[in-house]
Amino acid sequence: MLFSSIVFLYYFLPVALILYFLAPKKLRNTVLLIISLVFYGWGEPKYLLLMTASIIIGYVSGLMIEAFQTQKAKKMVMIASITISLGFLAYFKYTNFFIENFNKIFGLSIPALKIALPIGISFYTFQILSYTVDVYRGEVPAQRNLINLAAYISLFPQLIAGPIVRYSQVENELREREYSFDNFALGMRRFVLGLGKKILIANILGELCDAFRASGDKSVLFYWLYAVAYALHIYFDFSGYSDMAIGLGRIMGFHFPENFNYPFISKSITEFWRRWHISLGSWFRDYVYIPLGGNRVRKARWFLNILIVWLLTGFWHGAAWNFVVWGLLFAALLIIEKLFLLQYLEKSKVLGRIYVIITLLVSFVIFNASDMGEAVEYIGAMFGAGEIPLVSKELIYYLKDYGVILIIALIGATPAVKNLVLKLRENKTAEKITDCLEPVVLVGLMLVMTAFLVDGSFNPFLYFRF
Amino acid sequence: MKHKNIIVSAVMILFFLSLSLFAWFKPQDSFSQSERRKLSQRPELNFQSLMSGKYMKDFDDYSLDQFPMRDKFRALKAKVSFDVLRRMDNNDIYISDGYAVKMEYPLNESSVKRAGQRFSYVYEKYLKDSGAKVYLSVIPDKNYFTAGEDRLSLDYDKLISDFKSETQFGEYIDIFDLLSIEDYYRTDTHWRQEKILPVAEKLAEAMGTELNLDFQEKTLDRDFYGVYYGQSALPLESEKIKYLTNEITENAKVFDFQNNKEISVYDMKKAEGKDPYEMFLSGPLSLVTMENPESSNGKELVIFRDSFTSSLAPLLLSGYDKITLVDIRYIHPDMVGKYVDFTDCDVLFLYSSSVLNSSETIK
Repeated sequence: MLFSSIVFLYYFLPVALILYFLAPKKLRNTVLLIISLVFYGWGEPKYLLLMTASIIIGYVSGLMIEAFQTQKAKKMVMIASITISLGFLAYFKYTNFFIENFNKIFGLSIPALKIALPIGISFYTFQILSYTVDVYRGEVPAQRNLINLAAYISLFPQLIAGPIVRYSQVENELREREYSFDNFALGMRRFVLGLGKKILIANILGELCDAFRASGDKSVLFYWLYAVAYALHIYFDFSGYSDMAIGLGRIMGFHFPENFNYPFISKSITEFWRRWHISLGSWFRDYVYIPLGGNRVRKARWFLNILIVWLLTGFWHGAAWNFVVWGLLFAALLIIEKLFLLQYLEKSKVLGRIYVIITLLVSFVIFNASDMGEAVEYIGAMFGAGEIPLVSKELIYYLKDYGVILIIALIGATPAVKNLVLKLRENKTAEKITDCLEPVVLVGLMLVMTAFLVDGSFNPFLYFRF
Repeated sequence: MKHKNIIVSAVMILFFLSLSLFAWFKPQDSFSQSERRKLSQRPELNFQSLMSGKYMKDFDDYSLDQFPMRDKFRALKAKVSFDVLRRMDNNDIYISDGYAVKMEYPLNESSVKRAGQRFSYVYEKYLKDSGAKVYLSVIPDKNYFTAGEDRLSLDYDKLISDFKSETQFGEYIDIFDLLSIEDYYRTDTHWRQEKILPVAEKLAEAMGTELNLDFQEKTLDRDFYGVYYGQSALPLESEKIKYLTNEITENAKVFDFQNNKEISVYDMKKAEGKDPYEMFLSGPLSLVTMENPESSNGKELVIFRDSFTSSLAPLLLSGYDKITLVDIRYIHPDMVGKYVDFTDCDVLFLYSSSVLNSSETIK
């Protein structure tokens, strides 16, 4: 089920929240589990079994790791659990990629498997992995209540597109949560703003990207417009989803980790990855990079560790070569920055930002390409390769058509509005006015977004496929 | 802070609860007049539809179609798109001097080529050795008149040139110069019958016949909201349908082969229906003949056509003993020979640019 759908907003969510808040506190995790399963089963009824199996494996593994006395036995269970969880992920997500490449290399014609990627498998698999490893490391006790663990893994606000919430981050809240009007209002505000990012910015910029792809009148600047539109589209799509997840969690008494922090204002790629998909970056840091030795090894090994982490990060995003190249591009840039570039970038903020923006635009063109051939073609066209004009009639039209949205998106991608509101609220009168306006603005936004949903077509979140 | 958050919580709970209750319990509508389509109904729940995911998909469609105040929400979206986000169009419809216009773009060269090939097929099969005189003409979309520099529109010059090169078997009659945006309905794709007498005259002249263009203009009482009214979701004003009658149209013998029955030139029952434009020769029909009891000049005309011809054909009737209208979107060309004798006829292929640009519907 999509957050940005009439079914979710007006059929599922009100009923789910009523059931949740009417249930006695002791039963709320059970209610949460049931509504999460309904939420997931709405889109993927046949994959409910797979998720249930993953949950049970995680649950049993946790108990066994804790029960076994010897480190060796604990490690065996952890490895077995990780292997099974990653096995599910590999089978559903990567099998056809390997078959396709195996066929190409060895000239074979092994038929592709007819399997679809279960929604959210990349996210909930990583949550189960982190739980198992954390229990093994002794950082958290094994969860003895299956319903509590299942409620955590299937928690519907963040189930299908993150942020990747680690068990340790919500362990206490699975037992005891605080419910208040403050939490409800803060959560609702965050949810509505996230929904606005998705419906009023990301979806519309997605239409611009589609229009570009369908265009027969491309020009150099149109390629750049596409790159800008797609970068903003994916940012508002994904960060909007994270906002909604964090907001819904807050309404129900959970505090999920932040996932984005204005990444486009970064002055280096190192900084960008501290601001973009933070929960994924920190997951790879804690469960792959540091166990490999991190930076406390010889330089060559350090760089190898970076390469491995970013190869995996790229591959996590999708089973295609463009995602691998995308990840390796960042690995190369991070190594270059660590070797010498970072010290120069720190001296010039303007230069740093220009470098980051151009790099990101190119990287997202690779990310969104249907294959590497298309990525090379698009990037070549952006830099003048091919016999296309600088400007075309369609470019002018779409600049006019999407001009206001692009300006809103560009401003919204910076902390300017947030800072302005905070500055305004330093004044008591302005604070009272903004307080009075808030419910009006939220209802107004909901009405407008409902109007766009009623009139619009199906716009799935991008991160569902990861 | 605490006080404010209680108010925010209360307002949002009230908002979601009221719209949710409305959505859950609103009686279902069966038809959308503004969009001229049937609305999805609440799907039946059973194990098979649940496990296959069909129930969920159908429920998604139902929730959108049956949402409370759907038309008002669609209008709100259009207003925000145009007035706040300054979009150039809404659902590909834009407003130019009060005319709702579809942004027909880009030119689909293969579609135009395909249309030409289908017409060539008809020519080769029936017309080549029949003694028929063959003519072709294209009706411009409203987009042709409103596009200007800042709108995207078809490359009409290329469309016509491609079309001509595919249909060299007939004589092309250019009617573009005879039309302007005022000759079309403000809220609909079609032209207005009372405005296209010059078109009828030019076509007749090119085909070597004379017309009696002495008509009485009548107006339907009912307000007309064209197809773009619903698509644009904008609060456009209604307009009136006018139609032209004389003794010939009143006495014409019209036969609908699709339903095997006699009909009239102007169908007053259809005028009261979901699309009043269908009053002209009863709307989309595969094969219709019109016989002119006042004429005995021995001339017959066959028009391969789309819906624009429904309002034009009555104006041409005075020049012929019989006019046959064939819509090969609804009847395969191979079937046409069973009903139509092309010997020594005038044959006109008359199509709108939008049909040529989306010719997959032509059989």
